[in-house]
Amino acid sequence: MNKEEIRQRLKDVQSLPTLPPIVSKLNQMVSDEDVTAVKLGRIIEKDQVLTSKLLKMVNSSFFGFPQRISTVSNAIVLLGFNVIKTLIVTSSIFEVMQSSDIGLFEHSLGCATAAGIVAKKLGIKNPEEVSTAGLIHDLGKIVLRAELPEEYEQVVETAREQDRYMREVEKEALGIGHGEIGGILARQWNLPERLVYPIEYHHNPEASPDYKEISAIIHFSDILIRALGFGFGGDKWVPPLDHNAWNRIKFGKKDMTHILEEVDEKLAELQDFTLDIHKDEGTES
Amino acid sequence: MQRIPIKLAKPGMILAKEAITPEGQVLCGAGTELSQEVIARLIKQEVLTVTVEGHPVQLPGEKGLTEKLKELDHRFVKVKNDPVLRALKTLIAEFWVVQEKGEDFLQKLKKTKTR
Ligand SMILES: [Fe+2]
Ligand SMILES: [Fe+2]
Repeated sequence: MNKEEIRQRLKDVQSLPTLPPIVSKLNQMVSDEDVTAVKLGRIIEKDQVLTSKLLKMVNSSFFGFPQRISTVSNAIVLLGFNVIKTLIVTSSIFEVMQSSDIGLFEHSLGCATAAGIVAKKLGIKNPEEVSTAGLIHDLGKIVLRAELPEEYEQVVETAREQDRYMREVEKEALGIGHGEIGGILARQWNLPERLVYPIEYHHNPEASPDYKEISAIIHFSDILIRALGFGFGGDKWVPPLDHNAWNRIKFGKKDMTHILEEVDEKLAELQDFTLDIHKDEGTES
Repeated sequence: MQRIPIKLAKPGMILAKEAITPEGQVLCGAGTELSQEVIARLIKQEVLTVTVEGHPVQLPGEKGLTEKLKELDHRFVKVKNDPVLRALKTLIAEFWVVQEKGEDFLQKLKKTKTR
């Protein structure tokens, strides 16, 4: 299988749950300038299942909001529409991932947590958006796993046997990396470029045409969360650091220690969040 | 300090951090000694975990410090020549040592190493 075949395959991904119909409606509404958070919130709240999932996500510890967010319109005001839309688009994918690959799920939540903390430390305007980029940075892996399960299995297996980075093996075997795959999908779903580029370039952030700082944050957060050994990102190795990207965001020892403290605390809370999910699953079944 | 599921909380344990409901409401502050009544109240308010002083419980699957540090080293094998990542690894290791054994222990450890 080569790169072009994979691209074609991604055009009509069939193995992943389809986008909720509400997404295209919301897209239309957002292009209308007069639309308010309250109006958008009302539309979303008609879908009770989606609403409860959404509120659970926005209240989970990786966003780190001190007060409880209890309505969708509040969530839109506080986190921005980009974040809410991304969470809606990806909610079904995360459900798949929770049951099929808990390690990658934890890796993603962990990266989201770290990215939000790093973004806040750097004074970035919308840290929740950066968190969201962290949450879906390995989207390409989820797609690969769902759409090409045999090839994916083979890649993971080879990487394990030969003690190599999964990313290297993936490029060799498929001719395309999970970053690029994730980018293709995110673009297909009309996610904003502020999220598409960091996904696409999280392993080579300096190649990103734009939003290099956010890309650098995701790049580093991915490294940090693997360094801490939280979750499982496909192989057990800490990936190489791009020093030009690091120079955009770098921290001294003192700031880095603060980041570690905060990340550690939030990761512990995240375990509450995953506990909570399992608890719900238990009562539903 | 150690974070434990509320089910494993026992009377006599001391809270190292305030106990908070999922709604964000603070129920009791750091330093509170847990009693049967306090624990019952926390469970009723749907608190899932508490952070207590010391390291009173051996959780299943929980790794000891030595093992954690060994695995940390292993994860960094491929990037061991990168000075930034080497510094990050040291920082994480020190952070874990302090978390489990306290600041004094780390200082002593550093002294014996330089000697
Ligand atoms: Fe990745
Ligand atoms: Fe990753």
